[in-house]
Amino acid sequence: MKYVIDLFKSAITDFGKNKGRTFLTSLGILIGVMSVVLLMAAGAGLKLYISQQFESLGTNLLYVMPGNMFGEGGTGIRAGAGGSIAPIFEEKDIVDLKRIKEAEYVIPYYQKSIKVSFEAIAEYSTLNATSEDVFPSRNFVAEYGTVFSSADNSARNKVAVLGSKIAEKLFSDPSLALSKKIRIDGQSFRVIGVLQSKGGGGFGGPDFDNYIYIPYKTGYIFNTDKKFIEIMVKAKTSEALPLLKEDIKNVLLKRLETDDFSVVESTEILNTIGSIFSILNVVLVAIAAISLVVGGIGILNIMYVTVSERIKEIGVRRALGARRNDILWQFLAEAVVLSVFGGVMGLGISAIVVFLMQSFFPAYISISSILLALGTSSLIGIVFGVFPAKKAADLSPIDAIRYE
Amino acid sequence: MSSIVISLKNISKRYVMGDETIFTALSDINLDINKGEYVAIVGQSGSGKSTLMHIIGLLDKPTDGKVMIEGKDISTLDDDATSTLRSEFVGFVFQQFNLLNKLTIKENILLPVEYARRKFDYNPSERADYLMKRFGIFDKKDSFPNKISGGQQQRVAIARALIMNPKLILADEPTGNLDTKTGDEIMELFGELNKEGITILIVTHEHDIAERARRQIKIKDGEVVK
Repeated sequence: MKYVIDLFKSAITDFGKNKGRTFLTSLGILIGVMSVVLLMAAGAGLKLYISQQFESLGTNLLYVMPGNMFGEGGTGIRAGAGGSIAPIFEEKDIVDLKRIKEAEYVIPYYQKSIKVSFEAIAEYSTLNATSEDVFPSRNFVAEYGTVFSSADNSARNKVAVLGSKIAEKLFSDPSLALSKKIRIDGQSFRVIGVLQSKGGGGFGGPDFDNYIYIPYKTGYIFNTDKKFIEIMVKAKTSEALPLLKEDIKNVLLKRLETDDFSVVESTEILNTIGSIFSILNVVLVAIAAISLVVGGIGILNIMYVTVSERIKEIGVRRALGARRNDILWQFLAEAVVLSVFGGVMGLGISAIVVFLMQSFFPAYISISSILLALGTSSLIGIVFGVFPAKKAADLSPIDAIRYE
Repeated sequence: MSSIVISLKNISKRYVMGDETIFTALSDINLDINKGEYVAIVGQSGSGKSTLMHIIGLLDKPTDGKVMIEGKDISTLDDDATSTLRSEFVGFVFQQFNLLNKLTIKENILLPVEYARRKFDYNPSERADYLMKRFGIFDKKDSFPNKISGGQQQRVAIARALIMNPKLILADEPTGNLDTKTGDEIMELFGELNKEGITILIVTHEHDIAERARRQIKIKDGEVVK
């Protein structure tokens, strides 16, 4: 054990006397480890972000979608053979689903990109024509005013509830939005409420704060086919989910074919997205790992230089009784120290970058990526250090000591 | 027999040169060195004395013949065993001193201890201190070799050669890089060490250096001439 400690101590002392070269050689490994760790952190963060977004939508949700999108296995997306992905759900389905005992909320989904204007200010937004259930199911709370009711829906009142961001864009101060008339694709609507900010958006996820919500029956102004692309159903309890799933299928099968629609849980969608991101992440990390190999070649190169510079020293050490393996370990330890030094620095810089990133993105460095970074950097030190070290060890003592 | 430290029997060393001509560096050398002896191997450069020294120092192996250390043939030993024997048996003193500049004086002296594979019946660090005090270099123990004079460097090298308590001190032109006065001091040191019973073998081309030894072996064209 003392032998090993001495070995590394002497390697570190050696590098202390050649700081510039040590740093430059480690830089390759530093960059490699940094890119791998950062990509892993970003990937892990993205996954976390998506699942947080799903959780913010509320739990115990079932998505009723057109087409046989998820096979029985539940992970592969495939367009159903007989199914289409055109909107197929009708008002009757909404009413029927609402009657199911386990269903707490039923939220139809009609979405349209629209231009919304207030006086001279015009903005682009996404219109959601849906039921009043959307607010409690997604934990949306009105910050100003109120949300629309089922009465608004039945009466087809032209009332709108704004997300906080779009309200701010149109009115600067969202509290001023109440009772104002806005125009949505030319139609006049009265603002009755502004929602509290939910955050999110900006990374391809839904930007709820920029949405405008109107009752779905009022929405028939835009949704002239009166069809919906998706219906979300929230179960009263998580235990009721499987039963609810069956009931929804039975209700819809009265009108539709098996292949026409699917009922999926949010976890199934999450798993699918998660597996897509995992594959993407593995590919990215593999590309980043190439820079680790390049860093390793840098170490290989500098270790060969070190060995040729120190042939005389090797000879002296052999004359003083060093065995072949003593020399091998000495140079191997130096390569590993170089490489691990780069790895630790890369990890340190990644930690700083991730820390700075966390203010707007939930990236994090997992224990496994720390172990992977340190493991690969020491492995690279060993793999790329072993050839120069072997060369040093195989020098005959007599040739080495006579070398000038 | 036990008083013989090293014994060379019919040693030859031949090198195959590039165009397959054979160069004979040593031919049929027979030599015994006894415990407590002070021997000088004298010869011009190219005489084969360096090759002979390398064989005695276990750095090189003869083409033919046997090297016996304390009655044991060592030609069959593998590289590891030879390395261990080298650290136990012989202490080198080189013309170029061959100290490692990145180690302090004391670390240089203790370097052979790092490669030793045995328990010491003395404390090597204390022995290093004792040797440094004796050679007048104790105040330099934390200096680096390139910061001290040539004479001091050679004293460090001698201390390093003595740290393992070897059977034989092998000095290759130990005064070659020193001025006459400093060289004399180093030679006096060897004389003192020999009086204390340490076996010394000096390789040199200078006759006045060789004169100080109690026995001289002259080498010419790879053969012992006297």
